[in-house]
Amino acid sequence: MASAATGAPLAAPPAAPLELDGVSFAYGRSKVLSDVSLRVAQGEFVAVVGSNGSGKTTLMKLGLGLLPAGSGHVRLFGEELSSFRAWWQVGYVPQRATASSTIPVSVEEVVVSGLAARTRLIRRRSPGEAARIDHVVELLGLEGLRRSRLSELSGGQQQRALIARALVTGPKLLVLDEPTTGVDAEARSVLRKSLQHLVEVEGMAVVYVSHDPEGFSGLAQRVVEVVGGRTPVDSGRSSLREVATG
Amino acid sequence: MNPFEFEFMQRAFVACAVIAAVAPLVGSFIVQRGQSLVGDGMGHVAFAGVGLAFLVGADPVLGALACTVLAGLLLVRMGRAGLAGDLAIALIFYGGIAVGYLFASRAQAGQSRLVGLLFGSPLNLTWPEVGVIVGLALAVVAVVVALYPRLVAMAFDEEAARVAGVPTDRMVLALTVMVAMVVVGGMSSIGLLLISAMMVVPVAAAAQLASSYRGALVLASAIGGASAVVGLLVAHYRDYAPGSAIVLVAIACYLAATAWRGVTRRALA
Ligand SMILES: Nc1ncnc2c1ncn2[C@@H]1O[C@H](COP(=O)(O)OP(=O)(O)O)[C@@H](O)[C@H]1O
Ligand SMILES: [Mg+2]
Repeated sequence: MASAATGAPLAAPPAAPLELDGVSFAYGRSKVLSDVSLRVAQGEFVAVVGSNGSGKTTLMKLGLGLLPAGSGHVRLFGEELSSFRAWWQVGYVPQRATASSTIPVSVEEVVVSGLAARTRLIRRRSPGEAARIDHVVELLGLEGLRRSRLSELSGGQQQRALIARALVTGPKLLVLDEPTTGVDAEARSVLRKSLQHLVEVEGMAVVYVSHDPEGFSGLAQRVVEVVGGRTPVDSGRSSLREVATG
Repeated sequence: MNPFEFEFMQRAFVACAVIAAVAPLVGSFIVQRGQSLVGDGMGHVAFAGVGLAFLVGADPVLGALACTVLAGLLLVRMGRAGLAGDLAIALIFYGGIAVGYLFASRAQAGQSRLVGLLFGSPLNLTWPEVGVIVGLALAVVAVVVALYPRLVAMAFDEEAARVAGVPTDRMVLALTVMVAMVVVGGMSSIGLLLISAMMVVPVAAAAQLASSYRGALVLASAIGGASAVVGLLVAHYRDYAPGSAIVLVAIACYLAATAWRGVTRRALA
């Protein structure tokens, strides 16, 4: 239905990692997004920009099934959300200020928690999983910090641990929500290098939400802006606008 | 006089130490989720079950278990429907204690029996009652072990856990049922109003000292069990109320852990 309007070919290439199609959402009565469509192809790096409160985080949560879309369709790897099960294909780094935790948790525990859904009671960790853990720990420069308590690390180190958690299943789609907010320069450059590796070597699709273009410039193939959202005159609606091609 | 020689003391030691060692295992997840008071609320609901059991002449443990599990299911459903606001939860919890006392007074349950359930009366337990407590505790340990990775992932970050494929709704349900089991298991030993403290205080103490979740869990469990043993000994020699003594020892552990952390921090700085 919406495909005709956006001019997309009818026989779309199979299994786009993420596809939102005519999606609307409101928190109670306050409309945030209306009739938004976004398609992220395999191996594509899409940056999502927009002012504070425009609905970027909401859009990501809709795409990941954390919020129920009021209308429209959401598909992950071609599968409707309601029947999607292959969650290991998806990595998510939520937006946050700091990784707060009342109970101490080590970096290794955070990273391994990404595998929770795949852990069996009897079976020990498989060699493949152990190798994957080592790989992401190394990729994000966390080797010396595995046993450290998360809350005692810098904001940048914490964020790297959360990214490692998202990558530990070997996902084919990675969604990062403001990954460089409150993060030091070292973490920014580590993140940049690892994203480059993930896209170029592992062929991962990346959705990178940020209002700071520095983090994705030179990496993003497409920049999409969430517009509107803030002014009450606008009735709180946001729509997407393609901004540029990088 | 060696208190371990008396059989009523042996029963008290087993019942209190076992439930106090298991309570923090469940408590860690509710503390991490910012719901430290859920155990307390469940205690209120359990009291409704106790009152109902008195009224119909059933076993108070069964009544409490039925009511807390039902309330737990209701809370989870309300949460899913977005109705589990602070106020709705408070209504259920206060309704529980009001209904419980209404039933209990109609059933003319003795005041000492009610006080025993609210504040614990470990010295009056029978071996079959101790067996039920140990059974509940073992069942909780089995569930925690089986679901451990998923529970940790969910407690630490519910949204990320969902995207990682953890069935968080079912984990919340399992956690709520386990809270009910601990409350009921600790009811006649440590007391409905005090058992929830053993879900939270040892966890708070261990959190000061540990550097991993697993380490915190093991330490909290040890602190819980040790607080029960030391508390019972203090209660025995000084003739204090056992439930109160156990919880106060746990609080002393928390204060000591906090002080220790302050000292070691300063030494490092
Ligand atoms: N849980 C919520 N309940 C009600 N309104 C919300 C909630 N989360 C976000 N909003 C509102 O929705 C709008 C979009 O928020 P968000 O998606 O977080 O924007 P962004 O990520 O672009 O800053 C904002 O106006 C915000 O105030
Ligand atoms: Mg946001």
